[in-house]
Amino acid sequence: MKPINYVEELNRHYGSMGFPPYQWTINDTAPLVKPAKPVSDSRVTMLTSGGISLCTLPGFNPDARNDHRLDAVDQEVDSGDFQINDSYYNHDDADQDLNCVFPIDRLRELAEAGIVGSLAPRFWSGFMGRIYNRTKLIEESIPAFIKSLREDEVDLLVAAPA
Amino acid sequence: MGLVCRVVEQAGIPTVCVSTGRDLTAQVMPPRSLFVNFPMGNNFGGPFNAGQQTAILRRAFSLFEEVDEGGFLEDWSDSWPTQVEYFRGRTGASG
Repeated sequence: MKPINYVEELNRHYGSMGFPPYQWTINDTAPLVKPAKPVSDSRVTMLTSGGISLCTLPGFNPDARNDHRLDAVDQEVDSGDFQINDSYYNHDDADQDLNCVFPIDRLRELAEAGIVGSLAPRFWSGFMGRIYNRTKLIEESIPAFIKSLREDEVDLLVAAPA
Repeated sequence: MGLVCRVVEQAGIPTVCVSTGRDLTAQVMPPRSLFVNFPMGNNFGGPFNAGQQTAILRRAFSLFEEVDEGGFLEDWSDSWPTQVEYFRGRTGASG
């Protein structure tokens, strides 16, 4: 399969719905911090933007825009105890097996095998809502997330957009 | 999500992004990315394919130890074998 040209397709999709052209962020440099220790000594967490929430909580708004909701997920929760509410991708496979998009069982196995050092007490799900107000994201929502990562003494973050 | 990775990285916590949108990821430039040419929502592969899910996750972790320059994007070796639907009723070309 050739990679899908999402930029072109999204422009066409939302243009046909009457939305003004989306102002894509285009960067030509990126920050990089070298890890302080090997993965096998690091505390790890994971973040998904796939509209995934615990069945005991209200679902994400599947058609959300500017939704900065971010759920902390206890790292011991069963992978079968989640619901997915997101109209922007086909989650039939992930509905059967959460690990397709949010591989918490696989991450636990890597920790048990010593391939990653340890797991943070919380995993994360959020930032799924077609966020147009990026200033709020940069100045408020992401700093709050970083504060939580520091509280959990996280060394490495795996992010999986959906 | 690429923006989240950039801001978290700037705060001193290394990140890796496992993405299914190559062009989206390339223009946002997260610090480290593994592009997996699978449908959105199948970033780590198919259901109950633990071997595939683990392999992709392990490759993502290896980027923490291998990448020396921000904006690195690697293509995962395998591609999805069938056509995929990326919007309701729209199907991407395969091949």
